[in-house]
Amino acid sequence: MPLLLLLSLPFVAAALLTLLPLRGRVLPPWLAAGAPVLGLSLLWLMWPGLVAGEHPVLHLPWLSAADIHLALRLDGLAALFVLLVYGIGLLVIVYGRYYLNHERDTRRFFASLLLFMGAMLGVALADNLLLLLSFWELTSISSFLLIGYWGERSASRQGARMALVVTGAGGLCLLAGFLLLGDIAGSFAVSDVIAAREQVLADPRYPLLLCLILLGAFAKSAQFPLHFWLPKAMAAPTPVSAYLHSATMVKAGVFLLARLFPVLAGTDLWFSIVVPVGLATLLVGAWQANLQRDLKGLLAYSTISHLGLITLLFGIGTRESAVAAVFHLINHATFKAGLFMTAGIVDHETGTRDMGKLGGLARYMPHTALLGCVAAAAMAGVPLLNGFLSKEMFYGQTLQAAPLGVIWLLPVLAWLGTALSVAYSLRFAHGVFFGSATGPLPHTPHEAPRWMRVPIELLVALCLLVGMLPGWTVLELLQVASRSVVGDDLPAIDLALWHGVNLPLLMSIAAMLLGLVLYRWPGKLAWPMGRLVPEEGGKRSFDALLAGLLQLAHSVAGHWQRDTLRRGLLRWLLLCLLAGIWPWLGQIMPAALPLAPLQRADIPPLVGGGIMLLAALVCVRWHRQRVLAVLAAGVVGLMTALTFVLYSSPDLALTQLVVEVVATILLLLALRHLPTPHHGMRESAARRWRDALLALLAGGGIAACLFAVLSNPVPSLSGYYLQHSVPLGGGSNVVNVILVDFRGFDTFGEITVLGLAGLLLIKLLQQGAGSSADAPAAPMLRLGVRLLLPFGLLVAVYLFLRGHQQPGGGFVAGLVTVVFLVLPVLAGMRFSRLSPPRWMAFGLMLALVTGTGAWYFDSEFLSSAHGHLHLPLVGELEWATAALFDLAVYLLVVGAGWALFTRLAQYRPEEGA
Amino acid sequence: MLSQHLLILPVLLPALLAALSLLLGQRLALKRGLALLGGGAMLLLSLTLLTWADQGAIQVYRLGGWQPPFGILLQLDRLSAWMLVLTALLALEVQAYAAVSDWDKRGAFFHELFWLQWMGLNGAFLTGDLFNLFVFFELLLIASYGLLVHGDGRARIDAGLRYVTLNLAGSALFLIAVSLLYGLTGTLNMADMARRVAQAAPGQWPWLRSAALLLFIVFALKAALWPLNAWVRGTYAAAPGPVAALFAIMTKVGVYAIIRVYTLVFGSASDAGSGLLTPWLPWLALGTLLLGSLLALAARSVRGLAGGLVVGSVGMLLFGFAVATPAALAATLYYLPHSTLAVAVLYLLADQLQLRRDAGDVLHAGGVADKHLALLFLLAAVLLAGLPPSAGFLAKLWLLQGLPLQAPGLWLALVLLAALLSMIALARAGSALFWQEPSGNWHAARPGTLLPASALVLMALALSVFAEPISSYCQRMAEQLLLTDAYVEVLR
Amino acid sequence: MSALLFSLIVGLLAACGLYLVLRRHSFDLVLGMTLLSYAVNLFIFAMGGLKIGATPIIHAAGSDYADPLPPALVLTAIVIGLAMTALLLALAIRQRQQQGDDRIDRDEDASC
Repeated sequence: MPLLLLLSLPFVAAALLTLLPLRGRVLPPWLAAGAPVLGLSLLWLMWPGLVAGEHPVLHLPWLSAADIHLALRLDGLAALFVLLVYGIGLLVIVYGRYYLNHERDTRRFFASLLLFMGAMLGVALADNLLLLLSFWELTSISSFLLIGYWGERSASRQGARMALVVTGAGGLCLLAGFLLLGDIAGSFAVSDVIAAREQVLADPRYPLLLCLILLGAFAKSAQFPLHFWLPKAMAAPTPVSAYLHSATMVKAGVFLLARLFPVLAGTDLWFSIVVPVGLATLLVGAWQANLQRDLKGLLAYSTISHLGLITLLFGIGTRESAVAAVFHLINHATFKAGLFMTAGIVDHETGTRDMGKLGGLARYMPHTALLGCVAAAAMAGVPLLNGFLSKEMFYGQTLQAAPLGVIWLLPVLAWLGTALSVAYSLRFAHGVFFGSATGPLPHTPHEAPRWMRVPIELLVALCLLVGMLPGWTVLELLQVASRSVVGDDLPAIDLALWHGVNLPLLMSIAAMLLGLVLYRWPGKLAWPMGRLVPEEGGKRSFDALLAGLLQLAHSVAGHWQRDTLRRGLLRWLLLCLLAGIWPWLGQIMPAALPLAPLQRADIPPLVGGGIMLLAALVCVRWHRQRVLAVLAAGVVGLMTALTFVLYSSPDLALTQLVVEVVATILLLLALRHLPTPHHGMRESAARRWRDALLALLAGGGIAACLFAVLSNPVPSLSGYYLQHSVPLGGGSNVVNVILVDFRGFDTFGEITVLGLAGLLLIKLLQQGAGSSADAPAAPMLRLGVRLLLPFGLLVAVYLFLRGHQQPGGGFVAGLVTVVFLVLPVLAGMRFSRLSPPRWMAFGLMLALVTGTGAWYFDSEFLSSAHGHLHLPLVGELEWATAALFDLAVYLLVVGAGWALFTRLAQYRPEEGA
Repeated sequence: MLSQHLLILPVLLPALLAALSLLLGQRLALKRGLALLGGGAMLLLSLTLLTWADQGAIQVYRLGGWQPPFGILLQLDRLSAWMLVLTALLALEVQAYAAVSDWDKRGAFFHELFWLQWMGLNGAFLTGDLFNLFVFFELLLIASYGLLVHGDGRARIDAGLRYVTLNLAGSALFLIAVSLLYGLTGTLNMADMARRVAQAAPGQWPWLRSAALLLFIVFALKAALWPLNAWVRGTYAAAPGPVAALFAIMTKVGVYAIIRVYTLVFGSASDAGSGLLTPWLPWLALGTLLLGSLLALAARSVRGLAGGLVVGSVGMLLFGFAVATPAALAATLYYLPHSTLAVAVLYLLADQLQLRRDAGDVLHAGGVADKHLALLFLLAAVLLAGLPPSAGFLAKLWLLQGLPLQAPGLWLALVLLAALLSMIALARAGSALFWQEPSGNWHAARPGTLLPASALVLMALALSVFAEPISSYCQRMAEQLLLTDAYVEVLR
Repeated sequence: MSALLFSLIVGLLAACGLYLVLRRHSFDLVLGMTLLSYAVNLFIFAMGGLKIGATPIIHAAGSDYADPLPPALVLTAIVIGLAMTALLLALAIRQRQQQGDDRIDRDEDASC
C-alpha cells in the first residue's frame, strides 16, 4: 500500500488542481509541492529497508487476461529514480512558482507537471513491462502538454508535436519489442523476464526484439540520429526543460537500458549497437553544443551528449561500466538541472537567451553567476565536483573495452567528447557571465528572486558534496541502485578523489587543456571538421517524412471525397459477384444444363415470364420516358402477382396487386416533382455496356442460386406450420397465421417500418406542403368519389375479417382503405381530418397491448388464443386474438399509407427553391 | 410476472415510448421528460439483463410461445447483453445532449425516431432469427434515415440519398442471402441453421459459402468495411451532432452481426463455414484501419477526424475478429464499447464547436476559448489515440497478444503504424485547435451541454479503470460465443 | 424445365433492375430498385419450391400444400419495400427541389 501511495500522490494532486477552483499564483504551487514532499518523506521512511535489501511489492490485477497488472516494486534502481523524480520535481516546482510569476493561472502548468511526475514514477516502479509501457506513453503525453504550454507560439506547438511523434513512435516500437519479449519469456513480469535470459538470448527473435526495444529507448533518450526532437522541445518553459528534458524523462530511455540490462545486455549484438550509438551521440551532441547560439540549445545538446555517454557505458556491458553509468546518471541530473535553472534565470532577467548578446552578467547577478559556474564546472568534470568522479570512471571503462580489437579507439573518441564538453561548459560559464555584452539586452539584468536561486543552491551543494565526500554521500545510493542492475555481487566501487597519477587523470587534464584551447581559439582551429553533421538533418528528414505522410493522407482522402454513390454501387455489385464466385474457384462446375422438351407446365412461366421480361426491357430501354417506364414497371408487378397466383399463393398475389397499385400511384404522384430531364446528354456507350454486362452477370448468379435450390429441395420448417396452423393458430390460411402468429414479431417490426416511412414523409415533405384546393375537382368526379368511398370501406372490412382463414388480412385491408380514402384527395377535395401520426400511434399501442395481453395469461408476447364466432353474412368465423393484432396492423397501415399518399399528393416545393 | 418477460422489454419499451411520444405531439417538454425517464429505465433494464446473461445460460424468449425453431426466438447471451448496455449508455447521453442543445426542436419527430432507432438496435441485438434480424435492420435503418435528415439542409438530403440507396442495395442482398440460406437449409433460426450447416453434405458447401459471403457483404456494408464504406463520408459529416454521435453504434451493428453469424452459423464447428473469412478478412480490416487513420490525418474538421476514426475503429474490430483466436475476440469485444463511446464524445464536441463558433469545427481556424471543452477534447484524444490509460491501449495490447503464432509480422507493424498515424492526427488537431489563440465570435454555452460528453468520457475511462472485471466478462463472452453447442441446445 | 425458365426470368429481371440502379438519375434508381425488388421477391418466393394448385389454406381434403413460409417472408419484404420506395421518392424529390435536377452524384461526378 505505501507503494501505491508513493505512486499516486502526484496524480491525486493533479486531479485536485484540475478540479478545485484554486485561483492565483500562490495556492497551486503549494498544493503541487505537497506531493513530492510527502513522497520524499515516504521514501525516507522506506530507505533503511531498501539498504537492507527489502523490495516492497504491490500486485493488483488490472487486465490479467492480457497479463497487464498494476505490479509495482521498489528496488534500488526504482528508488533512485523516485528520488530523482520527487527531489528534482520539488525543486522545479519551487523554481517554477517564481519563474511563471507573469502567468495568470498556473494550474494547468502544475497539473501537467504532476501528471508527468506520476507517469515517471510509474515507469520507475513498474514491475510489469506492459504497465511500464503505459506509464512510458503517459510521460510522452505529459511532455507534449508541457512543451506546448505556450501553445500560442507556433514553435511550441511544433516542438510538442515532434517530441510526441518521435517518442510515441519509439513507444510503439517498444510495444512490439515487449510483446516479443513477453511472448518468449511467457510473462510480462519484469522478474520473470529477467529469469528467462537464456531463452531470450537463444530465441531467433532476439535480434529483432532487441532492435525494437532499443529504438524505443533511444528515441526517448534522444540518441543519435533520433536526437533532433530534444532541442526543439526547448520551446517548453525552462522549469520543464530542467525537469523533463534533462533530469528525468530523457533518462527513461537509459533507465530502460538499466532495467533490462540483466536480460538483454552482454551480447555482441548489444555491444555493437549500443556502443556506436552512444558514442555517436556523445560526439555529435558535444559538437553541436559548441555551435549553439541559444543558451538552452547549448544545454539541450550537452544533455544529448551526456545521455550518449551514459548509453555508451551501458553498451560496454560489463558490470563495472553499468555502475559507472548509474553514477553518471545521478551526477548529470544534479548539475544539469542546476544549469537549466540558471539559464532560466538568465532568460527571465535579461529577456534573451542569445549567447551572441549575453556577456558579463556576473556584474549584475553575482550569486547566480557563481552557481552557474560551479554547475558548469561539474559538467566539465573539474576535480572536487561530482562530474569529475564519474568522468574518471568513464575513462577507466573505455580503456577496458576494445571494439573491433582496437584498444585505443574508444578512449580517444571518448576523450575527444569530454574535451568538447569542457569547451561548451566554458562557453556557458565564461561566455555568459564574464566578458562584456555585445549588444543591448531587452531588460536590464538584476539578481533573481531569492527562492528562484535556492533550488540551484541545493543542487550545486550536492555537486560539491558528492564531488568531495563521495563515500559519505552517494555511495550507499549508488550501491543500492546498482544492485538492481548488475545483481547482488557488486563490483568494488572505488569512489575517491585521488587515485594517484594514472591514465584517466592524465586524460582528464589533457581534456581540460584541449577544451580550453577549443574555447579560446575557436576561429583559429576553425572547427577543423566544419559542420560535419548537419544540425537540422534529423529534423529535416523528419519533416519530409511527415510531409510525405500528410500528402499521402490528403491524396487518399481526396479519392475518398470524390467517391461517388454510383461507384459505391458498382463496387458493391462487383464484390457481390466476387463473393458468389469465390467458393467455386477450383470446384468442378456442373457441366450440362438439364434441358428438356417443353411440357404443359412450362407454358405459363414461358408466357408470363416473357411478358414480364418484355415489360422490364421496355422499362430499361425507355427509362427516360418516365411515365411509360412506370407503367411498364407496373406491368412487371402485375405479372409478379400472377406468378404468385400460379404457384399457389393467392394471399401474396392479393397483397402484391394492392401494393402494386399503391406503388404506381406513388410513383406517378412523385413524377410531378421529377420531370424528365431536358438535356439530352446520354451516358457513354462503354459505360452502359459495362453496367449491362455486370448486371447480367449478377442476374446470372441469382438465376444459378435459384435453380440450384429449386432442383434440390431440402426439408424445411413448413410441415410444422401446416400441421399446427389450425389446431394451435386457429386459422386455416397458413400464410396469414404465420404473419400474425408464428412470426407475428416480424410483422410487428415490419409495420413499424411502414409507420416510420409515413413519419419520414411527413418530416421530409412538410415544407411548402400547400393546400390541395388549387385544383377544384369536377362535380361528377366528387359524386363518384363520394359513392365509391363506402363501397371501398366495405371491401376493406370484408378483406380484414376473412384474413385469418382466406386470403386477406389487416395489411391488405388497410391499403385498400387508404386507396379509397385517398381518392378524394386525388380528386382535389379537402379531406384531411385524419391525423396519420395518431393512427400510427394507436396502431402501435394496440399491437403492444394485444401482444402483452398474453402476459396476463402467463404466456409470451404475441401468444394468441382463439375460438368460434358466428357473424351474420360473413358466416361462421373462427376468431383469434391474433385478429386484434391484425387490427393494429390495419390501423398502422392506414395511418402510414395516408401519410405517404397525402404528402406526395399535396407536396408543393417552396417558391424559388 | 414481469420478470419472465424482461427479455423482450428492450424492444417493447422503446416502441411504447415512441407511440406515447407520437401522441404527445408538439409538447416538447413532456417528450423530453419521457425521454429522460424512459432512457433511465432502459439503462436499468439493460444492466439487469447483463447480470442475468452473465449467469452463463443462454436465456431465450419464445415469441408467441412457439417452439423454436418454428417461432421467432429472442436470445440473450453475454454478447447481446453487452450490446444492449452499450446502446443504452450511449443513447441515454445522446438523448440528453439532443435535449440540452435543442437539437430535438429542429424538425419533427426527433424523439419518435430516436426511440424507434433504439428499438431496432435492441431487436437486432436480441433476435435469434436471421429474417427477423433483417426486419430489425430495416427498422433501425429507416429510423436512422430519418435522424440523418433531421434539421434538413442540402448536405443532409444528399447524404441521405446516398446512405439510403447503398443500404437498400444491401437490403436486397440481405433478402437474397437469407432466403438462399432458407432454401439451402430449410430454416431461419440461426442456431438451427448452424446445426444444419454443420451437417450439410459436401456438395452443398460451395452454395452455402456463396450465401455466407453474400451475407457477409451485407454486414460489411453496414460495418463500413473497406471498400464498402462509401456511405460513411456524407453520412457522418452531414448528420446532426447528436445523431452522428448515436451513429457511432451503427457501424458496430454490422460488426455485431458479423460476429454473431460467423461464430454461430458459420463458425469453426461447421466444415462449410470454417476458414471462410480468415484468408482475406484480416487484410481488408487492416486496410480499413489504415484508411481510417489516413483520413483522420487528412481531416480538416473535427468531424472529418471523427469520421476517419470511425472507419479505423471498424478496421480494428474486424481485424480482431478475423484473426480468430479467443483472446483476440475477447479483446475485440472489450475494444468495441471503448471506440464507440470515444467517437461519440468527439462528435458531441464537434457539434459544440459548430454551434458556438463562427468558424464551425474547422481545425485550422484559431483556438477554442472554452477550457472545459479543451479538457474534454484532450481526454477524448487520449482515448481515441489509444494512449494509456485508455481502454483502447489495453485492448490493443490484449489483441496483439492474441495474434496467432503464425501471424505475419506485417500485421503487428500495420496495427502499430495505424496507431501512430492516428496519434499524429490527433496531436495535430489538438495543437491547432486548443493551443492557438481563440479567434472569432464565441457564443456562450448553454448550461449542461458538456455534461453528456463528460459522462461518456467517464464511462470510457471506467472501462479502463475496471478493466479486470470487464475484461473477464469479455473473456466469458468470447468463450460463450465459441461454444456454439449451447445455442443449439436451446432449441431442444 | 419450368424451374430453369423461372430461374432465368428472375435472373434477367434482376439484371434489368441492377442496370437501372446504376443509371444517372434518382428516378431511374427508384425504378431499378422496384424491378430489383420484384426479382428478389420472386427469388424468396421460389425458395419454398414451385407448386401449382397447392394453396396453403388448410382444408379437409388437402394434404399437399406449398411451403407457406416464403410467401409470409415475401409479404414482409413487400411491405418494407413499399416503405423504402416511398422514402426514396421523397428523398429524390427533395434533392430535385434543392439542386434543380435529379442527377445522382451531381457535384462529384461531372465527368461521366
